[in-house]
Amino acid sequence: MRSLLLFLLTLPLAAQQAIPDKPAAAPSEVYRSVVRIESAVQVPDYATPWNSGRFGGGIGTGFIIGDNKILTNAHVVSNTRRLLITVHGSPKKYPARVEHIAHDCDLALLSVEDFSDFEEFPVFDIGGVPELESQVRVIGYPIGGQRLSVTRGVVSRVDFSSYSHSRADQHLVIQIDAAINPGNSGGPVLQDGKVIGVAFQGRRDADNTGYIIPTPVVRRFLTDIEDGHYDHYVDLAISTFPLFNQAMRQALKLPDDDIGVLVTNVVPSGSCDGILKAGDILTAIDGNPIDSAGQILIDGAKVDLNEIVERKFAGDTVQLRFRSGDTWHDRDVALKTLPQNRMYAIQYEKQPRYIVFAGLVFQPLDTNLFATAKFDDINVRRLYEDYLSEGIFTELEDIVVLTRIESDPINSQLSGFTGKVVDTINGEKVTSIKRAHELLHPAEPPPFFVIELLGTPRPIVIPGAEVAAANERIQRTYAIDQLSNLEE
Amino acid sequence: MRTSPFLLLAAVTFSACDSPDPITEIEPAPLPEIAEEPAAPAFDPTLSTVRVSSTRQDWNQRQPWEKNAPRKRRSLGAVVSDTHVLTTAEMVTDATYLELETADGLKLAPARVEAVDYEANLALLTLEDADDDFFEALVPLEIAEAPKPGDVLDIVQVESNGIPLVTSGPIQSLDVISNFLPGQFFLAYEVKASMQKSASSFSLPVLSEGKLAGMLTNYNSDDQISDVTATPIVQRFLDDAADGSYEGFPSLGVATTSTDDTNFRSWLKLPEDNGGIYVSTVRKGSAADEAGLEKGDVILTVDGMDIDRQGYYEDPELGRVFWSHLVRGSKGAGDEVTLGVIRDGEVVELTATLERLQAAERLVPDYTYGKAPNFLIKGGLLFQELTRPMLETFGKEWESRAPLDLLDVYENPEAYEERFDRVVFLSGVIATPATVGYEPLRNLIVTEVNGKPVRDIKSLVEAFGATPADGLHSIRFDNQDFAVYLDDVLATNVDTQLLQRGLTKLSRTE
Repeated sequence: MRSLLLFLLTLPLAAQQAIPDKPAAAPSEVYRSVVRIESAVQVPDYATPWNSGRFGGGIGTGFIIGDNKILTNAHVVSNTRRLLITVHGSPKKYPARVEHIAHDCDLALLSVEDFSDFEEFPVFDIGGVPELESQVRVIGYPIGGQRLSVTRGVVSRVDFSSYSHSRADQHLVIQIDAAINPGNSGGPVLQDGKVIGVAFQGRRDADNTGYIIPTPVVRRFLTDIEDGHYDHYVDLAISTFPLFNQAMRQALKLPDDDIGVLVTNVVPSGSCDGILKAGDILTAIDGNPIDSAGQILIDGAKVDLNEIVERKFAGDTVQLRFRSGDTWHDRDVALKTLPQNRMYAIQYEKQPRYIVFAGLVFQPLDTNLFATAKFDDINVRRLYEDYLSEGIFTELEDIVVLTRIESDPINSQLSGFTGKVVDTINGEKVTSIKRAHELLHPAEPPPFFVIELLGTPRPIVIPGAEVAAANERIQRTYAIDQLSNLEE
Repeated sequence: MRTSPFLLLAAVTFSACDSPDPITEIEPAPLPEIAEEPAAPAFDPTLSTVRVSSTRQDWNQRQPWEKNAPRKRRSLGAVVSDTHVLTTAEMVTDATYLELETADGLKLAPARVEAVDYEANLALLTLEDADDDFFEALVPLEIAEAPKPGDVLDIVQVESNGIPLVTSGPIQSLDVISNFLPGQFFLAYEVKASMQKSASSFSLPVLSEGKLAGMLTNYNSDDQISDVTATPIVQRFLDDAADGSYEGFPSLGVATTSTDDTNFRSWLKLPEDNGGIYVSTVRKGSAADEAGLEKGDVILTVDGMDIDRQGYYEDPELGRVFWSHLVRGSKGAGDEVTLGVIRDGEVVELTATLERLQAAERLVPDYTYGKAPNFLIKGGLLFQELTRPMLETFGKEWESRAPLDLLDVYENPEAYEERFDRVVFLSGVIATPATVGYEPLRNLIVTEVNGKPVRDIKSLVEAFGATPADGLHSIRFDNQDFAVYLDDVLATNVDTQLLQRGLTKLSRTE
């Protein structure tokens, strides 16, 4: 829930005003390469998935890191329909497009249609991780005026923390005490003329806290996209429990050396599936001893053991030392992404999937839907929570939920069914939204469609012969152009 | 807070009484002529009602070794015999002290609960001291003929000065409602009357022509509707309690849903011209289960009464009443009920012998009044038994906000009944040297301690009693593939310190 307190730093479009007509005073040379990004967006509406969604826009910042390469935050350009870039002191708007976008680490790389005007601009170098208490400068186009803004602060903390854009990811984060405000998003944070981070989020419940994406994360993104596409982060896909309780160590026959964590869960089909199992004791990763709190020492600083994996890519291996039973193992683990993790991440650039059938609206459960409809039902919550850790996804590609019932004579006597998980249709298990669509559209309509939901006193029964007429009626009455969308 | 308006009223009364006396002395007014023979002997409700004061104190579910602060409540009870007073069960829940007071305030007597039904929300009180002359001047109420919708009932209140305050109102409707414990449905009258608040709670006798018709349990001042426990329920409660041992209302053990939906009906092959309700669950081992009722059956008749699509039947005396009243209201444990059921288009007749299911027999008890929560503290780990009052500590929205593992037990007890008699879970971790690193553990169901299965708190205590040779207790949880360990010596030391820190005890297994 902590992520709710974080806010992203895009400035809503409404706050912008006319570009000043006289050229600005000559800025420091480097400022020319900090650009203002204006994004017009269309955000799908998961409550009425057949509708076009909401149009809007926002302002963010970006900076030139190479030949027609402009780095910014993913959230500045998510769901974008039109991107315009302006440079400091010029009224000209350059159309731009997204080359690569990584929602899991909130970074995106843009290009402009014509880079010729930018060719003389300086290019930012990517630096290292700054020292605690060292000074940094934040440059961007935040609220409070039209021109470029520069603020200054010190590095307050380097930590492994939440990225609120996807709501599901945690990576390295640097906290600084410079004022970072809406509009700063995607702007460079400089030290000694080099970029040491990208401003990306703030915090509502604390003063003088701004968060920036540090360069290890930025470099990883830039390396990942070198092959032309972004592959996402890889994941060990395990849960661990600290082992600093002495009784715990004694029982597990571990020496009193504060090394090792207990593996408590291994995600089926994840990187470690078949290698680690619950109850194993993990003691080293790539030769780095793992302490009893799950931390390792890298470059003189204690970081989460996941930090090793954070810097790797799909197909890379990581060496794990662990004890299983009484046997010690050293195994190379090939790292994989965990596509099912999408259940917990807000999705962008996707069309909501749905089926409207006799006024019943079916949608696959994901965090976008969860954020729109508040599901209290225990089965919905249980399947959502266990989807990854318990490997629900191996049986259920989608958790299909009956989200709405659009009133029509065919369904007017149904109540208490919305917000429940669809279990079977005519006795067949519903394993995905596509499967639901197949089962609801057989070659010959059966006398009755019998839809069993989890946690309802009785099934929903729809007479097969009346569906076509009802669908036609509902489509017309509720202005539903397409009765289904099965592709994102 | 609730007692303050009451105190204020008393003060006003005293000042009004004090002042007339001197005036009378100075100017003695001639006494008015009083007719010797009174008009018809007016019924005086104050002779048949008594004030009930209760001090109630429940247990702290989160810190089960201690009790919460006591609370006081006052209401009005009905004198139903020379020795007994009827009130609502909510007046006596977790009572530490009960006191009866005559309406005129002249007599006081400590009382005790003789019979209580938390589900029906009725309680029968009698005096602690059987020789007390408290009832001497009181007149017991007879039980009224069951009133019908439209009849006017009299709701009795007594002002603090002893003057009766009777509010009359018609019965607007009659239906089964749950007025105290959720999910417990009993026949009640809805009476429309505008009332003032003259005691700290609306728990009041309701009369029909001078006879007891029911107990008022709730008053909604917005729409001026009162819920009054119906006469047949009161009658059955008193009859059951008359022999000194109270059994309670039986249950059938089914959940049903309506068959209004025409699509649903045609799928069930139900004829268009009749009613019937769909059986959605049959509790395992219940009277209905024993009788052979199955999920998916449609109940057409109960004891020969036709049940309509919404589950109502036409009662010859009461009018349209929900079918559950035929089980919970008119019958006792051991009585039979005949069900006419349609199954796969065929009509079957089933006979169920009703039984009383005690709350304590449930895997997760719905209420635990009068019972202190069981628990065990071991080295700072706090283990408790899962009950509904425990779940309610997760806040107003506990039904959607409580931990999923615990809610699952509450919602699907069948899946756990084989393994558990009571579900024991780790409800909290008191930070101690023995629990270093265990702080994140919470709300985990305990399955095994030292290799022994944990079926309830008692077996948990026993399992901890046998310390393994290495001096380390192992604790395993449901759905978790790892054990956590406690050092016996350290845990024992810690427990001693916890007792010194003010915990009164380390376990309760009652």
